[in-house]
Amino acid sequence: MAEPAASKQTSALMAPETAERLFRYLVDAVKDYAIFLLTPEGLIASWNAGAQHIKGYQPEEIIGEHFRIFYTEKDKLAKKPEAELQIALQTGEFKEEGWRVRKDGSRFWASVLLTPIRDEHGRVLGFGKITRDLSERRAAEARYRLLIEGVTDYAIYSLDPQGNITSWNSGAQRIKGYTLNEIIGKNFSLFYTPEDREMGIPQQVLETARELGHFAGEGWRMRKDGSRFWASVVVTAMRDEEGTVTGFSKVTRDVTERQIMLEKIHEHSRELEVQMAAREQSNAELEAFAYSVSHDLRAPLRAIAGFGDALKEEYAAKLDPNGNDYLNEILDATRRMNALVQDLLEYGRVSRINIPLEPVSVGDAVHEALKRVGDRQNLTVDVTPDLKAYGHLPTLTQVIINLVDNAFKFHETGAIPKVHVRAEDKGDRVRVSVQDNGIGIAPAHQERIFQVFERLHEREKYSGTGIGLAIVKRGVTRMNGKFGLQSEPGKGSTFWFELPKPK
Amino acid sequence: MVTNKLVLLVEDDPADARLIQRAFDKAELDIAVTRLTNGDDAVAYLDGQPPFENRVLYPVPAVVILDIKLPRRSGLEVLSWLRNQHYGLKRLPVVILTSSRHSVDVNRAYDLGVNSYLAKPESPADLTRLAATFHSYWLQLNESPDVQS
Repeated sequence: MAEPAASKQTSALMAPETAERLFRYLVDAVKDYAIFLLTPEGLIASWNAGAQHIKGYQPEEIIGEHFRIFYTEKDKLAKKPEAELQIALQTGEFKEEGWRVRKDGSRFWASVLLTPIRDEHGRVLGFGKITRDLSERRAAEARYRLLIEGVTDYAIYSLDPQGNITSWNSGAQRIKGYTLNEIIGKNFSLFYTPEDREMGIPQQVLETARELGHFAGEGWRMRKDGSRFWASVVVTAMRDEEGTVTGFSKVTRDVTERQIMLEKIHEHSRELEVQMAAREQSNAELEAFAYSVSHDLRAPLRAIAGFGDALKEEYAAKLDPNGNDYLNEILDATRRMNALVQDLLEYGRVSRINIPLEPVSVGDAVHEALKRVGDRQNLTVDVTPDLKAYGHLPTLTQVIINLVDNAFKFHETGAIPKVHVRAEDKGDRVRVSVQDNGIGIAPAHQERIFQVFERLHEREKYSGTGIGLAIVKRGVTRMNGKFGLQSEPGKGSTFWFELPKPK
Repeated sequence: MVTNKLVLLVEDDPADARLIQRAFDKAELDIAVTRLTNGDDAVAYLDGQPPFENRVLYPVPAVVILDIKLPRRSGLEVLSWLRNQHYGLKRLPVVILTSSRHSVDVNRAYDLGVNSYLAKPESPADLTRLAATFHSYWLQLNESPDVQS
């Protein structure tokens, strides 16, 4: 048995013989590594605990055997063991990971180092061999690979430092269209669009991953068939213990679906915006039109009323009763038309989409409304002090005016109208009600009357434009309130509306 | 006190002009109303330009009643011109009488220096009352400024 070559690095603290002995014990004791000697011909000359543990042989069973005994049939046929010795001799060492065989015939994945041992003259005294069992790690790797392989939703693959593809999974094949054989060794910039490649995007991605550790982003990528898809991408730099980049791992997900959906949503909301703008504009146009029409109608109305009046004043005596009658009808009609134009203008005002809302004093609105309604008998008011609503003062005032006007109008001939206006605090809202003792409204009509131009009575009985309640409905709605009515024919009516309180 | 009772009425609508004139007549007020139909004429009259250079035939009025919607130059432009004069004429009382109650118009008129803003009444009775009130206020109560120097 060859003696181990004298180490040139023996500590000065120990006697050479002690150091030698300690080395021996060291090697002997190591269990995780098989460390043993081979003769220049490759026969096993020593054995340690690790070798016994890993390969399964007792020292007496194995010493003297050729080390090819540890190789698979395939390797033995290919004369691999012998080749390894040659390589070690020529290059100074042989290092690899590969399959080895245990005593019981089972295979294990080994990490192997074979080193020639020379004396001072360069003569080969033998070889040193260190073998490590990587089965555990290999099993873990295998499980890992299966896992990666199995994932079809994500392309998971690796690149070398230059970006050439070194691994592939089924997800990558599904998403990008290339098979393993087609893509291995090619550069990942192949997946980028021509525009991106021109701008040097792939290189920038790797740079970023190199500098920051990883790159995450989204963008268009190309499949094998030239079609494009929207990818969500993470590139991570892989480093060895010294920190040198050994390659990159890349995970790509096809999120085209999501992107398409997002773009559809954007398009849809853009369309909605356009529609809304168009509608706002057409509303504004309608409003302007309604305003100018109503406004321009007043001029001829003034003329008719004015000259009719002049006619009446200066020529009534010259007309017979019939003539005067006709004249009065004309003047009456102009008054009605005036009221109509006024109400139409008011309806237009109240229909505007953007009525500015703010805290308003309900008391002020009631006060102003009653002032405009004029002096009335039997009108009682009960307004909670300091009551505020979130609304629009002019609109609120107009609504109250219309309700009070109606309350006084619709009573039986000869009956004395009594009207009670109440404004009360209802917690999170304000309720205003106008109660009368008039003719009442049958349930069948209670919804209709809030529509424009709807009237329940002939003009001879009760005058009116048929717009008053429509204005109430629009105004209250525009102020985000609710309205309603309690009534029975002959039993009077209570019209009410509620508005939110200021926050 | 007003020394001359001339009202310059600038109104393009013939019906309105006639009715307003009638309202002043009906009230038997001792006033003369001269009517012009467009903004350019109004400026020419006030400026003493032809054909209005004869100040005996066409004296400076005590007050101007001005409509807003006028051909050639709007009432507000006439008002603006007037207030930008460099002598007493710029003090001339102006009352706008128009169909628009639009707050934009009202505010703009006051910004430009109108003395009063009236909306044309819908009923003839109200128009008569307006003429009488107008006369009481602007031609009897109101102190006139010096519009010559």
